[in-house]
Amino acid sequence: MSHCSSRRHFLLSSSAFALAPTLARAAAAPAPAGPVSVARCNTYDSAELVPTLQKMFDQLGGLGKLVKNKTVAMKINLTGAPTYRLGYLPLEDTHYTHPHVIAATAHLMSQAGARRIRILESPWATADPVEEYILRANWDPRDILSAGPHVEFENTNYLGQAKKYSRMAVPFGGYMFPAFDLNHSYEDCDVFVSIAKMKEHATAGVTLSMKNCFGITPCTIYGTGAGKDEPSLVPKGGRGIIHQGDRQPSLSAPSEKDPKAPRLDTWRVPRTVVDLVAARPIHLAIVEGIKTMTGGEGPWVNVEQLGVAPGVIVAGLNPVNTDAVAMSVMGFDPMATRGTPPFERCDSIVQLAEEAGLGTRDLGRIDLRGDTIAAARFDFAGIRKKRGGARPPQIGIRG
Amino acid sequence: MRWPEAWRDPALLDLLKGSAIDTLLIGPGEALGAVRERARKQGLQIDTPPGVSIAKGEWPGVKMARGRDAGAGPTGVPWVNSNGWAIRLAMVQKPDHTVWIDAPPAADSFITPDSYLIAIADSAAYGGRWILSLDAPLAQSLAEGKPDAQRPWKRIVETAAFFAARKDWSDYPPVANMGVLSDFAGPNEFFGQELLNLLARAGAQARAILPGGSFDGIRLLIYPDAAPASAALRAQIDKFTKSGGLLMTSEKRPTDDPYIWANDAVVQLSHRNDLVRFWNSGATGSYVSTNGKQTIAHLLFYSMRGPDSASVWVAGNYRSAQAATIEHPTIEKLGFENKKGGMEVHLPQVSQYVALQLT
Repeated sequence: MSHCSSRRHFLLSSSAFALAPTLARAAAAPAPAGPVSVARCNTYDSAELVPTLQKMFDQLGGLGKLVKNKTVAMKINLTGAPTYRLGYLPLEDTHYTHPHVIAATAHLMSQAGARRIRILESPWATADPVEEYILRANWDPRDILSAGPHVEFENTNYLGQAKKYSRMAVPFGGYMFPAFDLNHSYEDCDVFVSIAKMKEHATAGVTLSMKNCFGITPCTIYGTGAGKDEPSLVPKGGRGIIHQGDRQPSLSAPSEKDPKAPRLDTWRVPRTVVDLVAARPIHLAIVEGIKTMTGGEGPWVNVEQLGVAPGVIVAGLNPVNTDAVAMSVMGFDPMATRGTPPFERCDSIVQLAEEAGLGTRDLGRIDLRGDTIAAARFDFAGIRKKRGGARPPQIGIRG
Repeated sequence: MRWPEAWRDPALLDLLKGSAIDTLLIGPGEALGAVRERARKQGLQIDTPPGVSIAKGEWPGVKMARGRDAGAGPTGVPWVNSNGWAIRLAMVQKPDHTVWIDAPPAADSFITPDSYLIAIADSAAYGGRWILSLDAPLAQSLAEGKPDAQRPWKRIVETAAFFAARKDWSDYPPVANMGVLSDFAGPNEFFGQELLNLLARAGAQARAILPGGSFDGIRLLIYPDAAPASAALRAQIDKFTKSGGLLMTSEKRPTDDPYIWANDAVVQLSHRNDLVRFWNSGATGSYVSTNGKQTIAHLLFYSMRGPDSASVWVAGNYRSAQAATIEHPTIEKLGFENKKGGMEVHLPQVSQYVALQLT
């Protein structure tokens, strides 16, 4: 038997093994389906952005119902170092969640009665405050902090402001991990929001509201420089532990369920993301694609990349539904499986999430509101095809 | 230039004709007597002239570990060796002196023609001069007249000429918003120097201040010396803090780890007060100085290749920007825009040194 065929056989058999219990669950009850709003939005100008978001949230049932008197945690996407741009383009126009979208959402939540709004991110390899990090991107934190009376940041890449990490279990048992040790912010909130950028991803095919949650794992436990027994004090490097599985997280945190599971990032990352989204459920998923990039999650991905302006926002109350719609807006089939774009080399997060019972990816079951997918479509898939599909991700700078 | 020991042939002095190299440090001994004699006749200065301080330095660039892996600090940022801080400190300690840096290439250094550009620019940008010291293989190839030695030699001559033509820039006072206040002597020498070194590595614009020196432009002052400040110095510090200046002092924290002091200082002052920001630029260094009419941001890129599509932001109100590099003494058509209290400039493909001239 050749090396290739034995490897394929191993992957298929381990994939089938891992999916078996969840498939049984999926058969028992259909995965949840909820409303998803799609809106065209051509600029980050607040005159267009704020009413667009307001309308979208209204289409989802209104923010008040979701956030009034609640502590809201919003995970934003600031992947990679703030000194790394696609050409001369500002980071927010390519791979960072745009600060105006963050501020507009926080503003509307404040107006809807949110008691406290906490902006969360695990910036690349630092325990510095998020405010300091985004200043280096040429942002002004005051633009976000002034969006409401109680808006604040926390760096969740380490212990942060708490005395201990929060243990958060994966209710369905987990594909990869039974539970995670996370910064307290992910437990100490009533409402959890993922605000992602609409992008392709070198390892996971696409990065949308669910993949954004890969970054909730603190690198002090799940990073290259994590302590062996206990978390390190400060985060160092990326999440090689999850990507390659070259070692286990700090012993103080739950280990992988099966240390013999494949060491391939294209197998491990999608499953870990689903575990994380199950452990820390998303109440509101927002995928921002007003301006973004093609070719991957950041400028370090070694393929032809373009700064583009799809002019679209997708938001929903269920992240699987939302990501499925966002995929369709991008020209991809959310029902795609491994081997089909954008999952040529990896497993599908939306498929795995659906099979875990987190939500449906079947557009026929999703209650679409606002603009039609066809009206909002921006053809990432076509650009990807012209480019020649997916290429192996570069080893090195990865979240 | 430190004359190579093996260059016994006075004819090799012809290499220097028309160059900006005006001083030779020639070793002792009769074997080099003829070289010494002809150098004098050519009008070259031999030996160190008065008014020059020579400081031992490090071969500048990204620190390479065994196996040619780039070294990195605890943040993962490439570990850059630069002599800039040492030059500025020496210039504060001896304002009437010119500072020369003695930092020959290490025996196991990987040297390219651009390594010499970096070595020369790393000193000249800060107002000092690097004592040109050829690596042995290049010295031998030049002596033998090998064609492959011409490219690095040309690079050296062009770089030296670039800075010789812009000597006035050395007199521009630095623009800095952090100050390290110390006597930099005795028990305070290591910690104070290391702070300057590490603050530069963190991208901060810091300057050395001796007791009695001015705090003009400083927003965060670090006083790491063990001994309490004198009454006069304390009064000056009090005035500084009462007018809103930030102070880090050994009275409040142990002088144990200069790395932590430097990083804390950067966060305390906040990146809001950055004077220079880089994008897509790899391992960098920068030094900003101004004569009031024109500001020069000296930008150093220590990687093996200069950056492509790098951007740099310099704090301040400017209306125009042009750049100068060794290859292109004037680059006028730069993309730039005023943004967030500064000017952001988009650099074309450049080599490892750019002088950004802002007015």
